[in-house]
Amino acid sequence: MAEFEPQIVAFCCNWCTYAAADLAGTSRVHYPPNVRIVRVMCSSMVNPLYVLKAFEGGADGVLVAGCHHSDCHYIDGPVKCDATVDKLRKVLHVLGLEDERLRRELVAASEGVVFARIIKEMVEQLKKIGPSPFKVKTEALA
Amino acid sequence: MEVLSPYKEATDVILEAGGEPLKLCYQCGLCTGICPWNLVRSFLVRRIMHEAQLGAVDFGSEDVWTCVTCRACVQRCPRGVEIIDVMRAIRRAVAGLGIGVVPDALRISAKNIAGVGNPLGEAPEKRNDWAKDLGVKKFASGTKILYFPCCVPSYDPDVKAVSRSTATIFNKLGIDYGLIGTEAKCCGEAIRKAGHEDTFQSLAQNNINLFTSNGVKTVVVSSPHCYHTFKNEYPELGGKFEVVHITQYLASLIDEGKLKLSKKINKKVIYSDPCYLGRHNEIYDEPRKILQSIPGVELIEFPDARENGLCCGGGGGRIWMDTPKGERFSDIRVEQAVGKGADIIAIACPYCFLNYRDSVLSMGKAETMQVKDIAELVAEAIG
Amino acid sequence: MEEIRIGVYICHCGFNIAGVVNVEEVAKYAATLPSVVISREYRYMCSDPGQDLIKNDIKKLGLNRVVVASCSPRMHEPTFRKAVADGGLNPYLYEHANIREHCSWVHDDKELATKKAKDLVRAAVKRVYRHEPLVVKEAPLNPNVLVVGGGIAGMQAALDIANGQNKVYLVERDPSIGGHMIQLDRTFPTLDCSECILTPKMSDVGHHPFIELFTYSEVEEVSGSIGNFKIKVRKKARHIDESKCIGCNVCEEKCPWKTDSEFEMGLAKRKAVYIPFAQAIPHLAVVDPNLCAYIKSDGKKCGACIKVCEAQAITPETLLKQTDQIVEFDVGTIIVATGYDQFDPSVIPQYGYGKYDNVLTGLHFERMTCAAGPTGGKILLKDGREPERIALVHCVGSRDQNYHEYCSRVCCMYALKYAHLAKELSKADVYQFYIDMRCFGEGYEEFYKRCSEEGVNFIRGKVAKITDEALSDEEKGKLVVISEDTLLGKLVRVPVDMVILCSALEARSDAENVARIFNLNRRADGFFLERHVKLDPVATPTDGIFIAGCCEGPRDIPDTVAQAEATAAKALSLISKGTITTEAAVSTVDESICHGCGRCEEICAFHAPKVASKNGTLVSSINETLCKGCGACAVVCPTGAISIKHFTQDEILAEVAALTEVS
Ligand SMILES: Cc1cc2nc3c(=O)[nH]c(=O)nc-3n(C[C@H](O)[C@H](O)[C@H](O)COP(=O)(O)OP(=O)(O)OC[C@H]3O[C@@H](n4cnc5c(N)ncnc54)[C@H](O)[C@@H]3O)c2cc1C
Ligand code: SF4
Ligand code: SF4
Ligand code: FES
Repeated sequence: MAEFEPQIVAFCCNWCTYAAADLAGTSRVHYPPNVRIVRVMCSSMVNPLYVLKAFEGGADGVLVAGCHHSDCHYIDGPVKCDATVDKLRKVLHVLGLEDERLRRELVAASEGVVFARIIKEMVEQLKKIGPSPFKVKTEALA
Repeated sequence: MEVLSPYKEATDVILEAGGEPLKLCYQCGLCTGICPWNLVRSFLVRRIMHEAQLGAVDFGSEDVWTCVTCRACVQRCPRGVEIIDVMRAIRRAVAGLGIGVVPDALRISAKNIAGVGNPLGEAPEKRNDWAKDLGVKKFASGTKILYFPCCVPSYDPDVKAVSRSTATIFNKLGIDYGLIGTEAKCCGEAIRKAGHEDTFQSLAQNNINLFTSNGVKTVVVSSPHCYHTFKNEYPELGGKFEVVHITQYLASLIDEGKLKLSKKINKKVIYSDPCYLGRHNEIYDEPRKILQSIPGVELIEFPDARENGLCCGGGGGRIWMDTPKGERFSDIRVEQAVGKGADIIAIACPYCFLNYRDSVLSMGKAETMQVKDIAELVAEAIG
Repeated sequence: MEEIRIGVYICHCGFNIAGVVNVEEVAKYAATLPSVVISREYRYMCSDPGQDLIKNDIKKLGLNRVVVASCSPRMHEPTFRKAVADGGLNPYLYEHANIREHCSWVHDDKELATKKAKDLVRAAVKRVYRHEPLVVKEAPLNPNVLVVGGGIAGMQAALDIANGQNKVYLVERDPSIGGHMIQLDRTFPTLDCSECILTPKMSDVGHHPFIELFTYSEVEEVSGSIGNFKIKVRKKARHIDESKCIGCNVCEEKCPWKTDSEFEMGLAKRKAVYIPFAQAIPHLAVVDPNLCAYIKSDGKKCGACIKVCEAQAITPETLLKQTDQIVEFDVGTIIVATGYDQFDPSVIPQYGYGKYDNVLTGLHFERMTCAAGPTGGKILLKDGREPERIALVHCVGSRDQNYHEYCSRVCCMYALKYAHLAKELSKADVYQFYIDMRCFGEGYEEFYKRCSEEGVNFIRGKVAKITDEALSDEEKGKLVVISEDTLLGKLVRVPVDMVILCSALEARSDAENVARIFNLNRRADGFFLERHVKLDPVATPTDGIFIAGCCEGPRDIPDTVAQAEATAAKALSLISKGTITTEAAVSTVDESICHGCGRCEEICAFHAPKVASKNGTLVSSINETLCKGCGACAVVCPTGAISIKHFTQDEILAEVAALTEVS
């Protein structure tokens, strides 16, 4: 059987982390192709529903990333996002999803290398803990 | 272009050991200017980095063995080059791949370490003899602390004072500690820096197995070299235990009020930071704290102290190699200590002990200048 | 509802995308997606023929939605929105898939990259299906401009804008404008006297009918957005009556309380009441409340200045009662030009700055060589002797990962300037320790050559240590500079009398606070971040706020001035248009669901939502000119009444679902 390749959905704010991913591109910093980025204007735009939808769809991991606290284009989006993620973690816990599957990161526009590193780390970590229990269920049904 | 080095294999080993940072060296020469060797002779650290980058190292040169791994250069390098790793890799190429020559004195020590587990060539079964009359128990599972003095304080007739003082202090304070069996071997820190990687690996494995099977959780060490390798190198090889240097341990006992120093030592004491305690592991305050807690002691400082402290000359395996008179850092240090009017040079490392002892003797200063480990001073002051 | 007809365009971007992603396969795949009417691939979609493909298809095939998969939307989304609009559609009926920066440039496995590109295109198609037309609105732009910082950058920008007869508010923190440049003696490479070229400009600024100058003032608060910023400035109390002070300086002569002069870098003293330097603009005295005995004793001690001020500008009243003032005004655009700090070399222990009297920095040397400076233009040691040898140390705090990794760009050149001045003004031998000589500007290499001709000793090596410990008689009483001469392969010890540390330029110590006030981003090195390093170098991510000069990173005066003029052009172009387009992707409230709970009002950082009673029930409504579209309100709204146009819940859920589908 082929090695398990985790699927990651990343919500990235337009101003910092999306730009960081662009910078990784322009500077050709490679990372594994397991990630799909959803552009949001600010990390504070990320609704818990979006994350749950990703897991429901079979994502093995979700990254919610935006500006550092002092950098947000909308002043204090990261604080609001932190609060959302904290709440979400409790829900994921109830659902029986491991903590590592949801990652919250602050990546500045200049940190292309950091973005690439985070994706690499996530892929490695998710490979270790294996497919999401939701995915297994969906696949079993199929 | 001339082919620079026929030793492609060796070059690759060095480039790999130097890793990304070696590539970053921009040849500013700061390292040369910082390196203490240039106080006494020419040693162009920068040029060696460039040779390493280009694969043009002169493996036959005595420069291969010069670096004392004191970390003064690494600490200041503007590009973060791990110069010591590069030096070590060059030595590895010589020792492991057989290019160039290993200096005789080092070869003998290396042979001793590989053969009997200590550089002095002493019998392994005598490793714990220093403690014979002190009633120290053998470490058993459940004992709180393992005291590990390593080779020089176990065998050297003078430096035994360090291990014996430590045991005396521990006995007085009723500390639950023990010694590991004589299967223990040298920690291997220095021989690794001297390029003998295989020897280091087997020493480390031996000690890790021994410590693990005995259930060791906490080790107190006298040597900063043990401290360094136990703390920073053994964990990668599976050896995970808490490591405490004796100065840290004693300072914490003073803090907790368990260690009270009441006897006066009315002396001017100058403290020499060991490279492996200071620059390598950033322990600067604890030794000073202990000395300041001894009543009567007037603590004074070398012109270059702490981060800028001058190496005794004993790191990186240099302790086993001959350094001609006129090139000994410890001589400079003794000179400075005399200039500052010190009565005692306080040290916290067995290699420093050996070098300063020899310097004081060869400079004819034994009458006026004493060399003492901090443990010895504490044992005296404990009353 | 009308039938959705989507056109999908996959760009090759030459080999940039097509070299990794199988674009034909992606285009074929896109054609199979529901509602996709046409799917094409083309070499350069952003080219005119590429855009024409879209425009023609809209007309011929009746497309009403468009997806382009190419580079980052941050690069070309505006281009394609415009193409769509030119084709006759609302520009928001467009979606962009990033298959270059996020795919072909970061992956090398062609199969997996192609699969990823398909996923991204599928998600974009699902998303665009749900897009609604949005209307971009116009609002008037306030033509007044705020310039922050009165160094050469701020002054130049202010003059350019004011000369076009637009009102400029120039806010400077110090008691006088001038910045670092007025502290400099002569400027490389032409060696023209800084004062001579700068004071006319300072005086223009001081007298300009369109410039309102606030010195000794700081911006405390900025609210609003491009076109209509509200500014609050704190004008610190000078403790003199500005309308009466004639700048005669008698007060300073008589004041008995001394401290180091900031302007003279501590090489001279100033008094508790002082005029910072002879050409200060405005030419007004200022009282240092921490030093003034009268103020500190609450009027019980001293008062010497009160007695001598014939203009009656200093009175017990001004000294004891004058307080800071808050001034408020509105502007449409802002230029930030707050400059740099000189790096403090005392954190490099081995250089002995602060420990040895004659180890100095560049700015000290500038004051010393200045004919009007504290030594009357003589290069003197602390004890008044002339140095026989001077060492110039490059890269102090620059190009060093322990301090600042970047190159400070001006130090090589000012070091050369000092070598020349040392030769001109003294008999000293000069030893210049460098790692690389960076003489990149106009006339710079020529200046390097000129200094070489003058007989400067160049030593290639980074100085390891400066010490007063002598190893020989020659070194006794000297400062010994230790370095490897890397070209000789020899360690050198050069005994000198004076060492000039060419200290880095670093971000202002309060840059974080300034960034917060003006909503700027900072790079890892602390300087302010431009919107695009090459193509938008003076804009910031915040519309309507521009940056000029050294607050964006170290640079010389020519570059600073060019940048300042660029910011002025940016502001002037906005002013000449006169209106701004407001964000279309803003928040909206579905009043039929809203409970009026006010959670949106609480969370919004821009005060856009307001809950008010409407027909007897509480509902929220959004002020669209304030809303920035961050979307935080929609997340906390318990009823789901709020959504963000163009980023609706429905749209993003569809995109996420499409991304996790197995293709
Ligand atoms: C030793 C030395 C020698 C140099 N020699 C030369 C040379 O010969 N030729 C050359 O081309 N370049 C030279 N330079 C570079 C030159 O100094 C700069 O290019 C130039 O001064 C940059 O101008 P600026 O207006 O951006 O910044 P600054 O001169 O730093 O001006 C910024 C202004 O903003 C004010 N300010 C800061 N924060 C605030 C705030 N929060 N609110 C309000 N006001 C604020 C400051 O008080 C200051 O007046 C030299 C630099 C140094 C360090
Ligand atoms: S200090 Fe570092 S960068 Fe400079 S020559 Fe030495 S190794 Fe290279
Ligand atoms: S570690 Fe010490 S001895 Fe070795 S090169 Fe660096 S400064 Fe010199
Ligand atoms: S804009 Fe990046 S987190 Fe708010």
